[in-house]
Amino acid sequence: MTTFSYVLRDAFRLVTRNITLSFLTLVTTVAVFFLMSCSILFVMNTKHIVAGIENNLVITAYVNKKGTAAEVVADKIGKLDCVDSVRIVTPDKALEILRARLGNQADVLTLLDDNPLPPSVEIKLKNASAVSVVARELLSMEEVEDIVYAGELAKRLEIISRFISKFSFGVLAIALAVGALVVFNTIRIGVYARREEIEIMLLIGATPGFVAFPFVLHGSIISALGALLAGASVFLSYDRVVGALKASMPFLNFMTDRAVVMDLWLLLVGGGLTVGWICSWLAVSKFVRQAMRPH
Amino acid sequence: MEIKIENVIKQFPPDILALRNINITIPQGDFVYLVGPTGSGKTTLMRLITREVVPTKGRVLVGGTDLRKLGMTDIAYYRREIGVVFQDFRLLSHLTAYENLTFVQEAIGMPKDLIEERTNEILDKMGLWRRRFLYPEQLSGGEQQRLAIARATINCPSILLADEPTGNLDLQTAEAIMKILLSINAMGTTVVVATHNQYIVDEFRQRVISLRGGRVVRDERKGRFEINDDF
Ligand SMILES: Nc1ncnc2c1ncn2[C@@H]1O[C@H](COP(=O)(O)OP(=O)(O)OP(=O)(O)O)[C@@H](O)[C@H]1O
Ligand SMILES: [Mg+2]
Repeated sequence: MTTFSYVLRDAFRLVTRNITLSFLTLVTTVAVFFLMSCSILFVMNTKHIVAGIENNLVITAYVNKKGTAAEVVADKIGKLDCVDSVRIVTPDKALEILRARLGNQADVLTLLDDNPLPPSVEIKLKNASAVSVVARELLSMEEVEDIVYAGELAKRLEIISRFISKFSFGVLAIALAVGALVVFNTIRIGVYARREEIEIMLLIGATPGFVAFPFVLHGSIISALGALLAGASVFLSYDRVVGALKASMPFLNFMTDRAVVMDLWLLLVGGGLTVGWICSWLAVSKFVRQAMRPH
Repeated sequence: MEIKIENVIKQFPPDILALRNINITIPQGDFVYLVGPTGSGKTTLMRLITREVVPTKGRVLVGGTDLRKLGMTDIAYYRREIGVVFQDFRLLSHLTAYENLTFVQEAIGMPKDLIEERTNEILDKMGLWRRRFLYPEQLSGGEQQRLAIARATINCPSILLADEPTGNLDLQTAEAIMKILLSINAMGTTVVVATHNQYIVDEFRQRVISLRGGRVVRDERKGRFEINDDF
């Protein structure tokens, strides 16, 4: 009990005696953990968006303009069990949709004398696993010229997403290394400032663990506090940021689950505690072992 | 705890032979003066006992345990049995006299109320009560010396090692310090004193171990300082 209160008091003394350094370290760890959570959320959102597109169950089959090709395809495919509904989009209808989408820029369409758009069939499926089956079926029909489905787009996005993940993990690793190094250095400076005290403590019979503990606690507290504050700012601003992004990109499926962000926050604090613990332990234990080494 | 130093040779790199084949046995409760010219190996011998130094050859047994075999935590617990008055005191300059004493008790996990009680008691005994809130640099040499002894003895060690505890002190103060050491010894603590102080050694006659060039050249009960007789 006394031991523990001593350790706490000592850790507190370490923080207060070097308040500027402790504060700077805290600011750095907050920045590091903020960057880390941003890159994690970025990756999570990218994955979420890709998954959302993957789960889009509509396949568009463009068919040739010969007579009833659209009806033939619609008929055949509509009979499949896994198909929910089919809808034929005539070239006129397609042009109308395009005009609506272009809004006040629709004037450019008057430059066309002929409607170049092919007729198509929109096929809505019951489940995602059917996508590749139906896609293959469609491609085997001679009436079908090309198909576009989200799975295809998703595959392309997946590649981009994988690249983004790699990049983000790079950022993550660098941020982590910087954070770890800063905590390590702060603790080492603390250890160095008190080397005489540590040497005497060890000579009069303090155990290495007892000597090291306040430093380890100091490092862990700073690091965990940094993670806590970074997590708090992310948690509090996430909704607003995603709200703004959604407003400008409504077609993208952003992650809006607060529970996930909350989990990330907890994970961050846990990570901060672990990183702080390991780094300060490394910083102090090396010194303690050296001080205990006989001549 | 008996201290047994067996055939110890200590060579510091690159080739400084600090101790050459030392054999000494110090039973529990002994009072020993270590004498010898500067560089003869007195401090090194004491550092063998605290295990700050390990022998190049031979072994050091304390209470039957070979110190070389102890792990880091074992050493910590072992050191609680030993009080050391360092040649250069090694008081902590940013702590008051009072805190210098509580610090070493906290470091080994002593209960708080006991710490207060014992600190006050020893400050009183060492005549430092009125100086308790002063920092080491505000204390006189003799006061620092007494504070160092207080710190070394506050955890009731079985062995007290005092390296030059009367260095730079006038005879009266040196005598007062010696009386404190003798009273600690009277309570059963083994006391080893390294000293250059002829007056003290001849006045308070005890076992004298004389070192020269890293060798024991004389070891006698109720001995005298008598450096010149060594030849
Ligand atoms: N860590 C070390 N590295 C190298 N040489 C050392 C070391 N410690 C002691 N020595 C050498 O060992 C010899 C004995 O030193 P020691 O300190 O034991 O002498 P001493 O008897 O205590 O002297 P003094 O009376 O001046 O305190 C000296 O020659 C010293 O230079
Ligand atoms: Mg010496």
